Amino acid sequence: MATAAEFDQMIKSGELIESRREMTPEYLRELKHTLIVSGDTELISAPAYYLAAKRAPSINAFMTGIAIIQDELAHAHIAYHILEELGEDQEKLIFSRDPKSFRYPYAFDVPLDSWTELVVANGMYDQAGFCLLGDIHEKCSYGPWKRGLNKVMAEENFHLRNGRTWMKRISAAGGSAKDELQRAVDWMFPLSVEWFGLPDDLKMHSTQLEYRLKGLTNDQLRQWWLSTVVPYCEQIGIMVPAHKETRDGKDVWKLDYPFPCEFDSEEKRWDFKQPISWDDVLVRWRNRGPRNAEMVAMFQEEFHKFRKTHHNGES
Amino acid sequence: MSQRLWTALSEVQDPEMPINLVDLGVIYGIDEHDGVVEVDLTFTAMGCPASDFILEDVRERLLREEGVREVRVKVVWDPPWTSARMTQAGRDALEAWGLAV
Repeated sequence: MATAAEFDQMIKSGELIESRREMTPEYLRELKHTLIVSGDTELISAPAYYLAAKRAPSINAFMTGIAIIQDELAHAHIAYHILEELGEDQEKLIFSRDPKSFRYPYAFDVPLDSWTELVVANGMYDQAGFCLLGDIHEKCSYGPWKRGLNKVMAEENFHLRNGRTWMKRISAAGGSAKDELQRAVDWMFPLSVEWFGLPDDLKMHSTQLEYRLKGLTNDQLRQWWLSTVVPYCEQIGIMVPAHKETRDGKDVWKLDYPFPCEFDSEEKRWDFKQPISWDDVLVRWRNRGPRNAEMVAMFQEEFHKFRKTHHNGES
Repeated sequence: MSQRLWTALSEVQDPEMPINLVDLGVIYGIDEHDGVVEVDLTFTAMGCPASDFILEDVRERLLREEGVREVRVKVVWDPPWTSARMTQAGRDALEAWGLAV
């Protein structure tokens, strides 16, 4: 193993790390943490999307929804597989962890209750995933993950396409269909903005950036997301609480509401008149949202039931 | 006209892979009479999750061609698609992407 100084030099010079033997314990810990967040996010999107995909308006749309879920499971599998190579027990990670210790964005804990909400998730949550993974794909210092993300990016593109095509269709249909789409965007847009975490001025130090596990800061990623989602929504006639300003010749996306602010997860409603602190947000995230336990149970319960029956059958 | 329509469809990408529909070998025939274009098209699998998008893209692209006023797409399953239907350019594109074909 290289010394800490030699290892830091490898990272700085842009070399790729290829095996556990090359890593310092700190790098290994940070890499595992980043992979767990990625794996958990992809994994939990499967039950979250499934519960809404069941409400697809046609067989073909249902097929597309199911294909997206299959992709998400495969992406989760890539992350967990790498974690296993790094010494973690994949089975324990997925099937034996407490639901609250899963590390996925809070947005997935709020139920998607319709096909409309699913396609907005494809257009907004998958865009968030695309920005985060796109950055890792481009900058990540860990070779096996960087290469594994090649195909992931192409597949995420397909999810975005599903989201955007349907959002456009629903908006064009007008009337109550468009109203439903606007209502979905109203609660899902701010949740996606929150997805990228603490603003840079509150996050003084990022080990992930130092180790080149990612290349962009939280605010840079958030700006990237806003620069794709806001113009698209405006183009299809859907309102979003953000606008573009030009500062020093550069486009900057500004939010039209206090960030962060109060969210009622049961009502799926933001109170833009009620600013809160990031400590309040962290408490909400830690407590998890309405659907956390149910979604984790969707795959954990059957696993243990099957295990038990199988075991009894053998003895 | 026919050649122009084939060229137009060679600009339509598969939504999931970096390959166009002509190189993928899923366009079986294009016919045109008085501005009405009929396309025979298949999918690589009956459960193709992108079929809706492909049909939409084919229609949308052909309607952009001068002289085309209507597009009728017929989805056909005979003969079934196999990878042997791909062009060499298509094969090269997928191999460059990391898919053995």
